Amino acid sequence: MYAIFKREFLSYFRSPVGYVAISIFSFLAGFIFYSQFAGGSVNIGSEVISLRSFFVIIVPIITMGLLAEDKKRGTEILYYTTPVSLFSVVAGKVLAAFALYAVMFLNVVIHIIVTLACGGVFGVGAVGTIIVFFFMAFMFISMGLFASAITDNQIVSAIVAFIFILITQLLSVIGDYTGTAVTSVASAIGVNSESASAVGTAIRSAISWLDPFAKTQDFRLGVFSVSALFFLLCIGILFLYMTYRVLEKKRWSQA
Amino acid sequence: MIEINNLVKRYGDKKAVNGISFTVNDDEVLGFLGPNGAGKSTTMNIITGYLSSTSGTVKVNGHDILEEPELAKKEIGYLPENPPLYNDMTVAEYLDFVCDLKGVSRDKRKKQLERIVSLVRISEVYNRLIGNLSKGYKQRVGIAQAMVGNPSILILDEPTVGLDPNQIIEIRKLIKSLAKSHSIIISSHILSEIQEVADRVVIINKGKVAAVDTISDLSKRLSGQSKLLLTFKGPLKEGLAKIRALPGVQSATPRLTDNTMSQLEISIVNDNSADVRTSIFYLMAKESWPILEFRSLDPSLEEVFLNITAR
Repeated sequence: MYAIFKREFLSYFRSPVGYVAISIFSFLAGFIFYSQFAGGSVNIGSEVISLRSFFVIIVPIITMGLLAEDKKRGTEILYYTTPVSLFSVVAGKVLAAFALYAVMFLNVVIHIIVTLACGGVFGVGAVGTIIVFFFMAFMFISMGLFASAITDNQIVSAIVAFIFILITQLLSVIGDYTGTAVTSVASAIGVNSESASAVGTAIRSAISWLDPFAKTQDFRLGVFSVSALFFLLCIGILFLYMTYRVLEKKRWSQA
Repeated sequence: MIEINNLVKRYGDKKAVNGISFTVNDDEVLGFLGPNGAGKSTTMNIITGYLSSTSGTVKVNGHDILEEPELAKKEIGYLPENPPLYNDMTVAEYLDFVCDLKGVSRDKRKKQLERIVSLVRISEVYNRLIGNLSKGYKQRVGIAQAMVGNPSILILDEPTVGLDPNQIIEIRKLIKSLAKSHSIIISSHILSEIQEVADRVVIINKGKVAAVDTISDLSKRLSGQSKLLLTFKGPLKEGLAKIRALPGVQSATPRLTDNTMSQLEISIVNDNSADVRTSIFYLMAKESWPILEFRSLDPSLEEVFLNITAR
């Protein structure tokens, strides 16, 4: 696992990918922090929350090549024909992308130091948002890794990852729209208005139940929920498991 | 030692490999011959654990590749058709990575890499990016990668394809030197290449074993009929008729002709005690037709197949 991790992590810096990702993140983080700083009130928690909106851009960049590139180059054969297990391949790759995120996050660490040095506040709510940030990073990276496993084309992989993350970020909106749509369709086909709206509400709450942002929104207030973190972890592991299955299927494929 | 038993790989309706069985003994070079699409690469991919078989077993030094994959894979070094190289790494970084994958311990690593690097002669490119190397060097790095971890068996899938003649000779020399301490399976669709390095050959066609034989027996089988190419200055029709009339000549077909010269392809039966070449020479001398070219034609792989499957 360490071998795969080391290679992948270092390969970010052998190509522009790592630098591009770090630059984008640094620019965004710096911009947000600077506007807060110039405005006179710094809130690390809200900076981190704003940075979460950019998973949708940064994660596809750093995950698109993880497995797709191996397939294209033919280097994946090394994973199958050496004693290394496919589990450690998946684990090593996801850790490498995660570590890159950790490196990017050093920006925020600098901002925290500056804030504290200037007498600002770094409260328990900010710690909460940082914890959520990393759990979400893990979840989205897993989605990106899965997107990278199902194709040998980096662009396709990036687009699929982008769509996965976009859908996740829009889950509450999607829930609202689907709920309303189902209600109106149900009333149009003659269901009475009470049960129509009940069905709509049920569907809306079912979809928004999946929304990781709603689940973790109290962290910023310092209210930590283990079950919410567990939820993020489970989604991430689910995608890693699917990635593992895709890799394994390659060997057994008879199509 | 590798025992391959009744290997089948099915892709949809098509059987890419259809009941292949053979054994590779210790310290033996086994040539694996077949036309493109015969199932060579698929078979090699199954032996190395990259693909699974639909049915049948592969045992590597007694370890089944599917049941004890880690033990079996430790015994095998594999150079696939396209060497699995990372263009963004230097040779040193890459081989270090392969050592990590194969679990070569830190203290053994330096010595082992030194030995491999001097054997495949890549020391002068050791610190260069793989992406900037020539095809021949890339191939050698691929072989080096296969040798990491001291496997007792090397499986090389068309190791000389796309190389220039000098590089081909170098790689062949390398394979011969490796043969002293490894069992090697080497695949190719070029007969002469296999003839030079292999002790024994397995010929496959359409997913099935067409023949398993030692090189000398194979050439004996083939020597029942051989072909000569003759180019001479003289009239085609007359020459053709006279050569056909010679004892031992099975058939003669014109290949090329123009005003000044004629070229014939002559099939001869070898069990004739008289050497046909001598009689052709005297015939040409008698008729005062200067011989421009006179050589034996190596049987092509296709002819080998026709020959083998015809029996």
